[in-house]
Amino acid sequence: MLARIANDLYWLGRHLVRAEHTARMLDALFQAELDHWSEHPSSVRISWRSIPLLMGASPGEAEVVEDDARETVTRQLTTDERNAVSIVSCVSAAREEARTLRDTISTEMWESLNTFFLELQKPDLGGRPRTGPHSVYAFVRERCALFWGLSLSTMQRDEARSFLVAGGRVEAADMVLRMLRVALPPVRPADDATKELPRRDGNALALLRAVGGLQAFMRSQAAPPNAEPVAHFLLVEADFPESVAASAEALHRSLARADRDPQASPPVLRLRRLLADLELRRHSTVPYDELPAAFREIQQELGLVEREIDAHYFFREAAPEGSLVVQ
Amino acid sequence: MELYDELIAADGSPRAHASVLIDSLNRLGHERLVASAKRRDAIFVQQGITFDTYGPDGERDRPFPLDLIPRLIPSREWEELERGIRQRVLALNRFIADVYDAGEILSDGVVPWELAVTRAGFTREAHGIKPPGGVWCHVSGCDLVRDAGGTWRALEDNVRVPSGISYVLENRAAMSRLVPELFTDYAVRPVGDYPEQLLAALRALAPGGGTPTVVVWTPGPANSAYFEHAFLARRMGVELVQGGDLVVRDATCYLRTTTGLARVDAIYRRVDDAFIDPLALRPDSLLGVPGLMRAFREGNVAIANAPGTGVADDKAIYHYVPEMIRYYLGEEPLIANVPTYLLSDPEQRAEVLANLDKLVVKPTGESGGAGVFVGPTSGEREVEELRRLVELEPSRWIAQETVWLSTMPTMSHEGPVAPRHVDLRPFAIYGDDVWVVPGGLTRVAMQKGSMIVNSSRGGGSKDTWVLAADGARQHPEAPAFDPPTLPGMRQVGWTEQQRQQQQAGPTGSARGRR
Repeated sequence: MLARIANDLYWLGRHLVRAEHTARMLDALFQAELDHWSEHPSSVRISWRSIPLLMGASPGEAEVVEDDARETVTRQLTTDERNAVSIVSCVSAAREEARTLRDTISTEMWESLNTFFLELQKPDLGGRPRTGPHSVYAFVRERCALFWGLSLSTMQRDEARSFLVAGGRVEAADMVLRMLRVALPPVRPADDATKELPRRDGNALALLRAVGGLQAFMRSQAAPPNAEPVAHFLLVEADFPESVAASAEALHRSLARADRDPQASPPVLRLRRLLADLELRRHSTVPYDELPAAFREIQQELGLVEREIDAHYFFREAAPEGSLVVQ
Repeated sequence: MELYDELIAADGSPRAHASVLIDSLNRLGHERLVASAKRRDAIFVQQGITFDTYGPDGERDRPFPLDLIPRLIPSREWEELERGIRQRVLALNRFIADVYDAGEILSDGVVPWELAVTRAGFTREAHGIKPPGGVWCHVSGCDLVRDAGGTWRALEDNVRVPSGISYVLENRAAMSRLVPELFTDYAVRPVGDYPEQLLAALRALAPGGGTPTVVVWTPGPANSAYFEHAFLARRMGVELVQGGDLVVRDATCYLRTTTGLARVDAIYRRVDDAFIDPLALRPDSLLGVPGLMRAFREGNVAIANAPGTGVADDKAIYHYVPEMIRYYLGEEPLIANVPTYLLSDPEQRAEVLANLDKLVVKPTGESGGAGVFVGPTSGEREVEELRRLVELEPSRWIAQETVWLSTMPTMSHEGPVAPRHVDLRPFAIYGDDVWVVPGGLTRVAMQKGSMIVNSSRGGGSKDTWVLAADGARQHPEAPAFDPPTLPGMRQVGWTEQQRQQQQAGPTGSARGRR
């Protein structure tokens, strides 16, 4: 397969997963904000101002956003075409890639993605995120799910699909790590350490909602949805498909399938080390205060895997890094 | 006749806590509200938040009727109510425990024993059982109303299987999606942690060690509240079971699973008392689990609410709740009853029969508004028919003074906004202590002048907002911690230069996009 085609497939996967995660995250944040109540222990402390940071803006840039943070951030991340990370931009980019790949992906996948794109281009979209954001985000989620569902049932399970899935999983692992790093307080407040943990932790709940994992967590975990068990769940839980470990595992499966010689492939080998590290963390209890460092290391390691992928399969320097453009 | 409206004072001006809401509603405009109402119905049908109406022209799968104008309860008023509800639940629980134990309140003559033991909800088989922590009614919902003077009163108690909490949570979620603007200026106390509170209370009941297995027990998908049973199981992350899934061996309750029998520690049951166990209670019950009462009696499984609680929400027992509060707690009731007459008493009966057209008459053993007779809105023939029924079996009935329920501006069937009568069902969970959901289910009669609020008879509902102490919305401050600096998002795409050169093409022929 041509390296260029593989790269386009990889980025098609990444762009769609980025759009989907952004939609879920913003929806969860709206919900969390409405739940917010200053005197309640469950009140959510994460604010709209954290979101530019999450999307890679430097703290200096993020300061600019002030009182109408919610409106600015939602617009920037939903409809703003000048922002490469907005939902509309991601879907447009994915559609451009799919158009280039029309002979590689199935017609049904192309048509569903094209409909998705055209629907987002309609002029009334601009007003909707402000009044009824839920309908826009629900639509984005559904359309992304439709695309992946069609890829499961109509696309040959070949090298092409492997790169598509690999891109999606890299992006999912990266986004979930970003959310974990921004939403969870770096240290447990000192006077709380001895106290019983609250039954309900607004940040942790918002985080589960942002990843679509609230129900999965409640069904599978005995612990209440607090920061510590939620961090553990989203980082290393093997059976929840959006956890960092599950995404890395799926990425490994895809690469191992596409690679002619996985045993000698730098990205695969590096990924295996990351998987072993995550496996170790699954079976050990990481003290809460060490979590931020762990998140940082894992994200750095994932970044190195990305570089290896770019170099080994696509003959490229690493793709440039950018961030949310803060106006 | 003077009515009490909760948003608009008698002189037509908005009440203090409501003026902001009324401004927001005006800004929103009637058209937006109507449009949101249409979207609401579509969302509810899509999500399956529906109910069935009964009767000859009953409909299936109607969207749950949520009115988009919320009901506001200021924080101080709510604190008072919360204390009143707590007091009531504590007293009712003590009463149930007492009735199935020494029966002191009966021997002291505060509640007549012949009345207590003849109630349909009195369960002889529960006698002598000691449930964990002495708690019988873990989940309860007292129906509250406001009379024409604006005073809150208790209308009835539901300590068997009160339903409606799922609508409270779903209504809030829908409101925040349909009309988020209305929340901008109020700090509304959240209701979403009900499932966590319930789960914690149920886990605390479990007799065994380790992580207890909790289940929600439903009569089955044909039950009108099945939506709620599934909702609670889903939100608590526990199994939703039917009678056939449970089995009792050696006085221990198990689940039938694909990997064999699994021990059950606590059951949140939504099956009526009488159907729980065909060996101990109604023998014709197809929903029940043979031997469950024995497992419960031996303390091997916890059941919430405990079988037998029905004795306390009988409408004839309701009359004695203020006495119970004084007897058990030594306190004066904070929420008054509606004046009630027992028709088993000959003097009261004569009085009532002479004034049937002014009173509300209710059958004692029923729930959900079934068989309720409202004197002032009934015709001559109905009054005569009722008189005959009462004289036939007086102990089956009670009579209450008619309460002219307070009203709230309501959008009736997308028409103009007009006042409609409302009531309130707050929900309480009795775990370590009594916890009351801030707010509860506000039901509203959609017909002009009607006071029938039951959704099975065309009633609607409203989201109930208990305002936080200062009422105004606190805008979230800066994050409580500084998030770390994250790497930039990686990006890739066509460069503009590449695109232009591709579009130009070798011969200048326009290669249109397809």
